[in-house]
Amino acid sequence: MDSYYSLSFWVVFIPLTALLYQLFPRRLRPLVLLGASYFFFWSISGKLIVYVLFSAYSIHHFGLWLTNLQTECNQLTFDLPKDKRKAIRSEYSKRKKRVLGAGVFLHIGMLFVLKYSAFFLGDLNSLFDFLKLSVNVPIPHFILPIGISFYTMQAVAYMIDVYRGVVVADRNLLRLSLYLTFFSGIIEGPICRYQETAEQLWSGRPITYHSLTFGLQRVLFGVFKKVVIADRLNLLIKTVFDNYSFYDGEIIIVAVIAYTIQLYMEFSGTMDVAIGVAEIFNIKMPENFARPFLALNIAEFWQRWHITLGAWFKDYIFYPLSMAGPIKKINIRFRKYFGYYYGPLLGGSVALLAVWLANGLWHGVGWRYIFFGLYHFALIFCGNLIKPLSLKLTDKLHINRQNLPFRLLQITKVAILVGFGELFFRARSLKTGLKMAYKMFTATSANAFFNNGIYKLGMDRRDFYIIAAALLIVAIIHLMQEKKIDVRKFIAQRPLLIRWSLYYALIMFIVIFGAYGQGYLPIDPMYANF
Amino acid sequence: MEKIIAILEDIKPGIDVSSVKLVSDRHLDSLAILSLIAEIEDEYGIMIPAVEINPDNFNSVESIFVMVNRLLAED
Repeated sequence: MDSYYSLSFWVVFIPLTALLYQLFPRRLRPLVLLGASYFFFWSISGKLIVYVLFSAYSIHHFGLWLTNLQTECNQLTFDLPKDKRKAIRSEYSKRKKRVLGAGVFLHIGMLFVLKYSAFFLGDLNSLFDFLKLSVNVPIPHFILPIGISFYTMQAVAYMIDVYRGVVVADRNLLRLSLYLTFFSGIIEGPICRYQETAEQLWSGRPITYHSLTFGLQRVLFGVFKKVVIADRLNLLIKTVFDNYSFYDGEIIIVAVIAYTIQLYMEFSGTMDVAIGVAEIFNIKMPENFARPFLALNIAEFWQRWHITLGAWFKDYIFYPLSMAGPIKKINIRFRKYFGYYYGPLLGGSVALLAVWLANGLWHGVGWRYIFFGLYHFALIFCGNLIKPLSLKLTDKLHINRQNLPFRLLQITKVAILVGFGELFFRARSLKTGLKMAYKMFTATSANAFFNNGIYKLGMDRRDFYIIAAALLIVAIIHLMQEKKIDVRKFIAQRPLLIRWSLYYALIMFIVIFGAYGQGYLPIDPMYANF
Repeated sequence: MEKIIAILEDIKPGIDVSSVKLVSDRHLDSLAILSLIAEIEDEYGIMIPAVEINPDNFNSVESIFVMVNRLLAED
């Protein structure tokens, strides 16, 4: 068992877990989930399970420490006059900050050592080489526990929320451990907040007909996206990205479009599976995607793509940084000179830059990821900068910003900008990405479309037709969702014959047109190592 | 309440701030929230900590008013 798509996950793991969960009395069900989560983690990361065991214990400890300090502070200040109360609060606030700092430092530090040390030490050695210093720092190679970044973000969110008083520290180590390691979110998220899932996971609500069928439908849609679309595109993408120097610009453009589609289908598909699996157990996880390719600008795109990551960055990096003394002062000063819009835009851009650097680094180790973060920072910053101007311009030209052609134009613009960024995300290095981009702009013709060159990259004409049909199905579902139609409810309300015909059609589509077996190259979970 | 309405009207001219959902209808983005916070802090002499920045507190004039009063009382 190595992912949500392995046969053993669906033939053994989920049926057995669901059966035990349902058979056990309600108070023991959370333990079934916890045991299953640890087993799942162990089956993928083996001995590294020690990491999550130790980590959960320490997070539990830091949480209690913070809550105890707050309780102590409340007791001491209960009957005191205002000035004395303020002094004690300030003293305790400092102590809490130190405890939180230690907890966050420990977990981000572990993530940093395991994930980033090789990258930074490698660059340090290059710098020593460049300076002709005969120093060579040995580079450690750690094996990463599965989904360590997702796990760490949940852990940090929990500690900060306890520090802020948003949640009370959990005294129950097992409940906290289940929140941190629940098998349905451990590989690729979504990044859940403690208050969103901990209580639900611990409540042991029974599996119902509704939760089982609706959960399975969601899973099916995710498998469809991954197996029919994302996996089918893999051979073409791999062929072009690995041998880009042999191909002209138009082929590289096709590969970049294919990769952008693949990334979305794989990641959002896996989210459908993760959220669907949780739904089977009557647990509601937060949504992570809201049809990002219908966004009208890049800022909106990021409000619709990997929503829980964006919310995490906003709550724990952007706002705290923007509200920090020095940046606040800059904001106030800029506001005087540049007004309500440009003032905070210029001041807030410092915090925005930090968010996007962190976002780039979170996605992976390498300069191309940093470039990816800075690229999106630049797009959002420039978008905000010209926003008043573009509004004025469209008003002056009497363009209705709500009309369909104008919106389609904006949607296309977003897709092109996002796709261009994904090129660097997928390229082997920043240098390779730049070379590929250069080719796209300088060596592009329509040759490959006339001499059938695009059918020689690992996907034949039939594959393209299947992808087109599958994308059409996804697009119809997305448009219905955008119109606030609950697709699963909509199908459930149809007559039995139509309902089951649709389910069977989707299953048969996956079985017949799924890209598995000989001649295909399934992709690994793309976000699992982030 | 009038003070808060006046601040919001300065930041978001042309919107009937009293009758819309400020955050869920996307009238207030993160930059506008930063402006609003700075103005409220100036006006009321309070500190709005990052933890208070959530859609519930900023979605309407009333919710902002409730938050400000709560912070004034806690101060």
